[in-house]
Amino acid sequence: MELVDKIIKGERAAIAKAITLVESSKDTDQQISRQLISELIKKPGKSIRVGFSGPPGVGKSTFIESFGSYLVSQNYKLGILAIDPSSQITGGSILGDKTRMVEISKNPNTFIRSTPSRGTLGGISMGTREASIILDAAGYDFIFIETVGVGQSEIVASNLVDIFTLIVGPGSGDELQGIKKGITEYADIFIVNKNDGELKMEASKTAADYKSALSYYKKLDELEKQVLLVSAIEQTGMVDVIKTINQIIDQNKLKGIFDERRADQLEYWIQEEVKNIIASDITKRLTSKGNIPKYSEKVMKNEISMYEAVETITKDTLKQ
Amino acid sequence: MTKKSNNGFNTWQKSFEKETKKNFSDAISETDEGINIKPVYTKEDMENFSFVEKNSLPGQWPYTRGPKASMYTNRPWTIRQYAGFSTAEESNEFYKKNLESGQKGLSVAFDLPTHRGYDSDDDLVMGDVGKAGVAIDTVEDMKILFNNIPLDQMSVSMTMNGAVLPVLASFIVAGEEQGVDRSLLSGTIQNDILKEFMVRNTYIYPPEPSMKIVADIIEFTSKEMPKFNSISISGYHMQEAGADNVLELAYTLADGMEYVRAAMSKGLDVDDFAPRLSFFFAIGTDFFMEIAKLRAARTLWAKIMKDFGAKNERSLILRTHCQTSGVSLTEKDPYNNIIRTSYEALSAILGGTQSLHTNSFDEAIALPTDESARIARNTQLILQNETGVTKTVDPLAGSYFVENLTEELSKKTWDIITEIEELGGMTKAVKAGIPKLKIEESATKKQAKVDSGSRVVVGVNKYKNPKEPSVDVRVIDNNRVRDDQIKKIHAIKESRNTKAVEKALTNLTNAAKDETNLLIPCIEAIKLRATVGEVSKALEQVYGRHFAKSLSVSGVYGKHFEGDKEFMKVESKIKEFENVNGRRPRVLVVKMGQDGHDRGAKIVATSFADMGFDVDMGPLFQSPKDVAKDAIENDVHAIGVSTLAAGHKTLVPELMKGLKEIDPKSKIIVFVGGIIPEQDYEFLYENNVSAIFGPGSNIIESAEKVIDLISDNLSKE
Repeated sequence: MELVDKIIKGERAAIAKAITLVESSKDTDQQISRQLISELIKKPGKSIRVGFSGPPGVGKSTFIESFGSYLVSQNYKLGILAIDPSSQITGGSILGDKTRMVEISKNPNTFIRSTPSRGTLGGISMGTREASIILDAAGYDFIFIETVGVGQSEIVASNLVDIFTLIVGPGSGDELQGIKKGITEYADIFIVNKNDGELKMEASKTAADYKSALSYYKKLDELEKQVLLVSAIEQTGMVDVIKTINQIIDQNKLKGIFDERRADQLEYWIQEEVKNIIASDITKRLTSKGNIPKYSEKVMKNEISMYEAVETITKDTLKQ
Repeated sequence: MTKKSNNGFNTWQKSFEKETKKNFSDAISETDEGINIKPVYTKEDMENFSFVEKNSLPGQWPYTRGPKASMYTNRPWTIRQYAGFSTAEESNEFYKKNLESGQKGLSVAFDLPTHRGYDSDDDLVMGDVGKAGVAIDTVEDMKILFNNIPLDQMSVSMTMNGAVLPVLASFIVAGEEQGVDRSLLSGTIQNDILKEFMVRNTYIYPPEPSMKIVADIIEFTSKEMPKFNSISISGYHMQEAGADNVLELAYTLADGMEYVRAAMSKGLDVDDFAPRLSFFFAIGTDFFMEIAKLRAARTLWAKIMKDFGAKNERSLILRTHCQTSGVSLTEKDPYNNIIRTSYEALSAILGGTQSLHTNSFDEAIALPTDESARIARNTQLILQNETGVTKTVDPLAGSYFVENLTEELSKKTWDIITEIEELGGMTKAVKAGIPKLKIEESATKKQAKVDSGSRVVVGVNKYKNPKEPSVDVRVIDNNRVRDDQIKKIHAIKESRNTKAVEKALTNLTNAAKDETNLLIPCIEAIKLRATVGEVSKALEQVYGRHFAKSLSVSGVYGKHFEGDKEFMKVESKIKEFENVNGRRPRVLVVKMGQDGHDRGAKIVATSFADMGFDVDMGPLFQSPKDVAKDAIENDVHAIGVSTLAAGHKTLVPELMKGLKEIDPKSKIIVFVGGIIPEQDYEFLYENNVSAIFGPGSNIIESAEKVIDLISDNLSKE
C-alpha cells in the first residue's frame, strides 16, 4: 500500500488521511483501514503511549501544552490524540483543543489530532486505538491520549495506553471518596496541577492526601503509585513527570509487566470487537423478525409474562 | 391612579385594540435587553423610580440630564473623528486637513502590531503592518505624526490598551522634544485593558500585571499630567462584539469600578484621579434605548462614585465620548449606512455625549476615503448648524417613555453590576471568562434574529437593492509600508547609543519585578530610541504573554431556527454528507495575524456546529503556516478565514502556500469572511479562495454554500 510507505516516512498528510479512514463509519473506508492496520502492525515503532485524564477545569490541556513543550525541547517526537469533550450527541461539535495548545501545535515535531467523541463509550472514539497504531508506525516517540474524566472513560482509555495518568486540581481531596479501588488500578501516576501562586499550599496538601489514600489501597505485589506536583502555568515539575514515566516503563519492561499489559489490552479489544459484531448482528436479526413488538403486545395484554417473552425471543433469535 | 385617569386609559386601550385588532398585552415587544416596550406610556410610568430623580436638572445630582448645566447651548459637542493611515506621514497630513475643516480634537488609530507590542520588522506581524491604523515603532514615528501640530493646544485621543506604556511614553517624549512640557499635554489614552480580555483581544500581558500597568498610568498622569485623561473606559467594543445595551453598560461601569479600586490601591485619593476618568460608548440603531443608556450611565456612575467616597463633584460626573456603531453598517447597499449613522448620531446628541465620532459609510468595507470621511464629518456639522438640537439641554427629559426606559435600563444594569461585585469584581469575572461568554451568547442571538428575518436590516434581509452600487475604497500597499518602517527601524538602531538602550531596558525589566511605576523607566528607554517592541519584550520577560482560553457557546443559534425550512435543509444536507462520506463535514475556523476581533469567527463556529458541522476552532494570532499544519493534521474539508483588519491579501496567499508545502495534493478548500473590499475579491479568487462572505452575509446560506462546495470538491476526486 502506498499509504503505508508514506505513513512510515512520516508524511503529515498521509497520517492525517489514515486517521480519517480508521475513524470513518463508511464500509469501504473500514475495509481499507483494516488492511492498513494489518500492514502497519508488521512495522511497529517504539512509541510509549501515555493516557491523560481528569475532570474538566483542572488544566489538562494546559498541562499537556506545558509538558509536551518540554518533551519536544528534548527532541522527542510527540503525537497527541485529543478526544474533545465539548461534543454534542446531536448536531456537530466545536473542537477547541487548538486554542489551548497554542505553542506546541506550532512545533514540527508534533502531530495533534482532535476527535469529537460523539457520546461514544467513555468518550473514547471509534478508531483511537487504530490512530495510535498509525502514529506509532510513523515514528512518534510518545503518543498522548487525552480524554475528559467522566463515566467509564478512564477504564476504556487505560486499555489503550502503557501508562495512565490522572490529572487533578488542588483541593480535590474531597473527591478521594470517589477514588475507590477502581481508579487506583487504572492510574499509574497522579498529577496535582496548579502548584503555583495562592494555591501552592492547597496543592501540597492535596498531594499528601492522595499519597496516604493510595498507600491504603495499594496491593502487595503492586508498584507504588506516584503522586507528582506540577504547575502547568509556571512549567515546573515537568522533569519529574518524564523521569517518573521512564522509570515506570523501564521497571514494567524489566518485570515483563509492559508486554503483559499490552497482551491483556489486546484481549480486551478482541473481546470488545467480537461483542460489537455479535451485538450488531443480533440487533439486525431482532428487527428483521419483528418479535419484540409482537411479544410486547402479548405482555401488555397480560397473555404472557415479560420473562416468558424474553425467553422465547432469545431462543428464537439465537436459533438461526 | 385617579378614577378619572383610569377611565381615560381604559377608553384609549379600547380604541387601540379596536384599531390594531390586537390585545394590548400582545402589542408589547421585548428588546434584546429583555425590556418590555409598551405601545404607550403615561404619567403612571414615572412612578416608583429608584434611580432616576424626576425633578433633577442638568449639571446636578444625579447628572441624568447631563454633566453640565448649559450643555450644547454654550458649546456644542466635540467632533472627534478617529483615524490613522498606515504611516505617520499620511496620518499627519490627514489630521492637518481635518483641523482646517473644523475638527477640534485628534484621535489616533494604531495598527495591530503596535497594539500588541511588536515592531514592524517582526515576522509574526507580516500581514498587519499599517493595517487599520498607523505603525509606531519609535518616538521618531510619533514626532512625525504630530509634526506642525502644537501639542499644547490640541487635545489628542489615543486608542491604545496593550502597549500603553511605550506609546504614552512616546507621546510624552514627542511633546518634550517639541518643547511642550508634559503638564500641558491634553487628551485621552484608552488604557482600558479589561475589555480587551472580553472582546477585542489586543492585550499583551495577563490580567493582573495588565491591571498594575493601568494603575501606574493613572497614578503618573494624576501627578504629572493634570490635563490628560488617564483612561477611557469603553463599552464600545462590547456592543460591536454583539453585547446588548445592558451588558455594555453594566460591564463598562463594572470595569470602571475595578480601575478605581486599582488606583486607590496605589494610595491615591479617589478625588485625585476620578475627575480624569472618561468613558466611551457605542451608539447603535435602537434610537431611544441608546439615549436612555447615556442618561442611565451618568445616573449610575454618580451613585457608584458616591459609594467610593468621592467628595469632589467632578468625580461624580460621567463624561463620555461616543461613536456610531460599526457593526450596524452593511456591505450591501452601503449608502444606507449614511442614514443609519445620522440617526445614531442624533441618538448620541439627545443622550448628551461630550464628543462624537461618526463612521464613514464605507467602513464595513475598508478604511474611509477622503470623500466618505468628509460626509461622516458633515453629518455632525449639519446636526450642529442646521437642526437646532443644540438650543435646548436634554430635550427629552420628562418624556414618560424615555424616563421610564432610563429607569428600567438602570435597574437591569444594576443587577448585573451587583452580580459581578459578588463574584469579586471584574478582573476575576474576566479571568473566569464569564463576560466574554455572555457577550458571545448575545451576539449569536442577534445574528440569528437577522438571519431568520425576525429583525429587518434594510438592503440585507429585506428591500434588497437589485443594482448594488460599486464604491471606491482606499487601497493600502501594506508591503511598501512595512518596508519603509523596517528601513526606519534599522536607521535608528544604527544611530542610537546601543549600550545605553540596553541598560534602560534592563532597568525596565527590573522595575517590573517590584512596585516601581513603570512609566518612568519606560520614558527613559523611549527617549534613548528603544522601540515599542523592545520595551514590550523587556516587560514580557517578567510578565509573560497572555494566551486566552477560548470557551464557546452552543445551541444558542440553532434554537432560533426550530422548524425553519432553510436551516433544516442544511441539516439534512449534512446528514446526507455523513452517510455518504462516513464522517461529518469538518471545518477549521481561524483568525490569522494580529487581528483579535473574534466575534465573527465565534458566531460562524457555533452556528455551523449547531447545523451539524464538526468545527475546529483555531487560537487567536495564528500564522498561516500554523493554520496549514492544524488543517492538515485534522484532515479538515475546509478552512474558514475570518478577517477584519485588511490582512487577507498577505495572509491568505501565505496560507495557500503553507498547505501546498505540507501536502502538494491538498484538496482543502478555503473560504474567507469578514471585511473584504470588493476590489480584493478577484485577487482572492485568483489565489484559489472558493468563496467570500462579506459583512451581513446570511450564515445559513453561507453554510449551505460551504457544504455544497465541499461535496463538489470531494466528487471531483
